[in-house]
Amino acid sequence: MVVFALIIINKAGGLIYQRDFAEGLNKLSINDYLVLAGTFHGVHAITTRLHPLHNHSPSSQSAIETRPDPPSGIEVLETENFRLQCFSTLTGTKFLLFTEPQQPNVDKIVGRIYELYGDYVMKNPFYQLEMPVRCESFDRKLVQYVRPLNSR
Amino acid sequence: MVVYSFYIFDRHTECIYSRLWARQPDRPISSGPPPSRPISTSSTSSAPITLAPTNELHPPRRSTRLSAQDDAKLIFGTIFSLRNMVRKLGGPEDSFISYRTGQYKLHYYETPSSIKFVMLTDTQTLNMRNVLHQIYVNLYVEFVVKNPLSPVEHPGGEGVANELFELALDQFVKGVL
Repeated sequence: MVVFALIIINKAGGLIYQRDFAEGLNKLSINDYLVLAGTFHGVHAITTRLHPLHNHSPSSQSAIETRPDPPSGIEVLETENFRLQCFSTLTGTKFLLFTEPQQPNVDKIVGRIYELYGDYVMKNPFYQLEMPVRCESFDRKLVQYVRPLNSR
Repeated sequence: MVVYSFYIFDRHTECIYSRLWARQPDRPISSGPPPSRPISTSSTSSAPITLAPTNELHPPRRSTRLSAQDDAKLIFGTIFSLRNMVRKLGGPEDSFISYRTGQYKLHYYETPSSIKFVMLTDTQTLNMRNVLHQIYVNLYVEFVVKNPLSPVEHPGGEGVANELFELALDQFVKGVL
C-alpha cells in the first residue's frame, strides 16, 4: 500500500501544493507540475460535459428536491502504474492523490487530508486564499498521517 | 452494465468510427451553425438592439447540448491530454486505462499503431480493456484491415463502417454484456 503523491489545485486551476511521499512516479520540474495542474483542471471541466445520456436536462420546475446532482468530473483515473483519486470540494478546490493501483479506501484518505487542510491551512491566519500553501504544520501533520499508511 | 457509446480514432487524431447505443432523442446529429450565445435582455442600454436580428435568425438554444461530432472532438482532447499526463508521471511505458466520473466511465485502449479505441459505459462496469482489445483483434483487424476494398488509411471514416463490422460489433457488445 503506497501513497505516491498529493497535489492540490485551486479553483482557478493553479497548483497550490505538491508533495511526494514515496518513490514510484517520475519527478517533474515545478513548471511541469504547474502545466499538469492546469491541464487536469481543463480536462476535469470537459469530462463533466461528456455524459452520454444528458438526462440532467434543465427544467423550469422550481422543486429544489427534484434537482439532480450537478455532473461531476473525473473521480478516479486508472493506469497500469498508478491510480489517481480526485476529490473536488464544493468550493472547487481539487485534491489529487496518486496511489498504487490496488490501494483500498482512498476516499477515506483523501477525506482525512481534506480535514487536515481545513485545520492547518484554512485556519492559519497568515494563509492567503488561492495562494500556494506554505504551512509548516500542515506539512508535518500530512507526513505524520501518510507515513504509517505507506509502511503498513 | 450499459454501454453508451464507442469511438475509434486513427493516428491522425481523426474520429473514424463512432457508435451510440444510448438513446439521445433531442440531440442534433450534425453540427449546424454554432448556436449564438443567449443575449441578456435585462440590459437597459441601447447597444444590444443591433444584435437583436441575429438573435432571431438563430434562436437561442441550450448551449449544454453538443453535437455528436463535438462530443468526439472533446473525447479525443480528453484522452490525448490524460495520456500525455500519465506518460509524464508514470514513465513512457505507462498507459492510461480508464477514468470514472459520477455519471459514466470511459475505457481506453491504444494499439501499437496508435489507433485509439474508446468506450463509454456506466460506472459499475469493470475493466473493459481486454474487451476493447478483442474488438481490435477479432473485429477491426478481421473486417476492416483485411477487407481488400478498404483503404489503408480511413479519411472521414471511409471503409470502417462496413456492414460486417457494424453487425459483428453490435453482436459482440450485446454478447459481452
